[in-house]
Amino acid sequence: MDDYRKYVSKHYNRLLEQCKVRLDEVEREYPEPREDFQALLKARGISRRSFLKWTGVMTTALMLPPIFKPMVARAAENFSRIPVIWLHFAECTGCSEAILRSSYPNVDDILLETISLEYHETLMAAAGYQAEKCLEEAMEHFAGKYVCVIEGAIPRGLNGQYLRLGPKGETGLALGKRVVSKAAMTISLGACAVWGGIPAASPNPTDCVGASKALGVSTVNIAGCPPNEVNFVGTLLHFIMFGSMPPRDGEGRPLWAYGKRVHDFCERRPHYDAGEFVEEWGDEGAKKGWCLYKVGCKGPYTFANCPHLRFNDHMSWPVMAGHGCIGCTERGFWDTMAPYEKPIQEAAIGGGERTIDNIGIILTAATAAGVAAHGVYTAIRKKDKNQEEQKQEERE
Amino acid sequence: MEHYVAPLKHWTVAMRINHWAMAISIFVLIATGFLIAYPVTISKGETWLKFSVGEIRFWHLFFGVLLTFLFIWRLYLAFFSRFHADWKDLFAFLNIKDLIHQIKFYLLIEKEGPPHRGLYGPMQSLAYLGLFGLIFLIIITGLILMGAGYHAGITAFIYSILKPVERLLGGLAMVRYIHHVLTWCFVLFIVVHVYMAFWYDAVLKEGTLSSMVSGYMFKKEGH
Ligand code: HEM
Ligand code: SF4
Repeated sequence: MDDYRKYVSKHYNRLLEQCKVRLDEVEREYPEPREDFQALLKARGISRRSFLKWTGVMTTALMLPPIFKPMVARAAENFSRIPVIWLHFAECTGCSEAILRSSYPNVDDILLETISLEYHETLMAAAGYQAEKCLEEAMEHFAGKYVCVIEGAIPRGLNGQYLRLGPKGETGLALGKRVVSKAAMTISLGACAVWGGIPAASPNPTDCVGASKALGVSTVNIAGCPPNEVNFVGTLLHFIMFGSMPPRDGEGRPLWAYGKRVHDFCERRPHYDAGEFVEEWGDEGAKKGWCLYKVGCKGPYTFANCPHLRFNDHMSWPVMAGHGCIGCTERGFWDTMAPYEKPIQEAAIGGGERTIDNIGIILTAATAAGVAAHGVYTAIRKKDKNQEEQKQEERE
Repeated sequence: MEHYVAPLKHWTVAMRINHWAMAISIFVLIATGFLIAYPVTISKGETWLKFSVGEIRFWHLFFGVLLTFLFIWRLYLAFFSRFHADWKDLFAFLNIKDLIHQIKFYLLIEKEGPPHRGLYGPMQSLAYLGLFGLIFLIIITGLILMGAGYHAGITAFIYSILKPVERLLGGLAMVRYIHHVLTWCFVLFIVVHVYMAFWYDAVLKEGTLSSMVSGYMFKKEGH
């Protein structure tokens, strides 16, 4: 155990040194922060104490030990140095909405407010050729340094012509490739950018796919429809602190955020284990906040940290609000998680009411009937045979 | 009148124990599995005093892990049994002539089946090989489901190996769905398997049914 602890502390001390070097580098090489973060916090009425609390929460969210708290604070102060180019493809802009809007500012929101957006199609004032110029300049000026955030799926059908953007009508595919090629890191924000999302749901006529597949680069995938702002902020902080992508799972999602299932730390889980289920909307169980498995909760199949972080200023999240999880952080959720208000095995096969259990029951009944008929026929044949033998004996 | 010679040893003790332990495990797994898919709501009583689904999951996982070990043991026997390693017999269906003959026998067109060449008839070998495949698949999907909810020890280690399989199958939801579909395959297998055991027992009168308990089959003279 002691060896283990020594090894761990050695490992983290080394990581801490790396982090310091990297932060020095950021402070040296990246432009001055746009805003004095501490002053901004004060102006928004966030005390030093709340800020320190926030660094603690963020450090644990990133699954780092407490010695990293000062580093997280330093990264937050340097947050607005990192130039960000934000691209919109086939999507609804709900992710931008979810991440940039809030009713009262907490530290995450203030951080996002200071984010140095060089180019964001929805938020920028410039338009047309002027916007195009902003993009060119940012790409040139911060080549190899900027973070590219992609929101939305990229249609590949007709060579990408289902999606054209900007004054020159560039295809999403071409624009994405151009911007990503000079980025230090690319973040796919939201289900659409991660694997195609709703635009890619079956039958996917425009052949939409996620940014990573369409552009052939590896991206940090902040999955979810919409994703949680803390996961996004955390990924950027990680980039500032370590200059790299966070460790990711097979779907490209940061492990610190998507390492465990919703079902694993859902607040309704004790009701699941106790056999207390909501049977239909508005029943006694629903009023008591019982488990939503039987009304279609997909928490058992969904990797996400929603129960920890919640949404809208950490106020609530779907299961807390009373509807089952729909599995929006998972690949293909629109198709594989259906039906949303029934358990997974009640999915209709080929439309209609045909479920796997109906098919199973019919097949079992048919098999049972088949073997029964076989048995009866065998018995009849045997009787015939016996009678024949008897007759033969009599004749003899 | 038919004459019987001395009973012939057919199944070793290991094989018989393995067979019945698997049978029990699979029955329990089907029952608890469906109870996981369609859990029963218990409205009465305090939440903290109840653990029904938790217990069902426990027994499902208990017998699931047991089945995993039994399956490994069965594979060992198939290759290294000192009495009769039967892995070659599991490919009896490759003899097409026998296979067609056997199907005719089952359809009651032929009066006699093909001659016994190994431990299993051609159709039987096909069924058992299929069963082995089913068990293998349900164990793999089961271990993935188990690893997804338990993040320590050997379960987590196995899960880290199987994670790409989960991705390949289309995520945890699809793994669970496949696990559910496979369950129905087991139900179908059991119906046919039990019937065939009784049928052979009645038609051939060689003691097929009791052989899995006693280990011995009887051979009619002249066979
Ligand atoms: C004959 C063998 C088996 C049968 C018939 C069976 C059946 C089932 C069924 C019907 C379900 C519910 C699926 C659903 O909700 O749609 C299930 C779930 C599950 N099974 Fe099995 N199973 C078998 C073997 C195994 C094995 C070998 C393991 C693991 C070693 C395993 C682990 C699990 C787990 C972890 C779950 C999910 C439980 C949860 O998420 O709460 N099963 N099984
Ligand atoms: S509500 Fe959903 S996530 Fe929560 S315990 Fe029930 S099934 Fe699991």
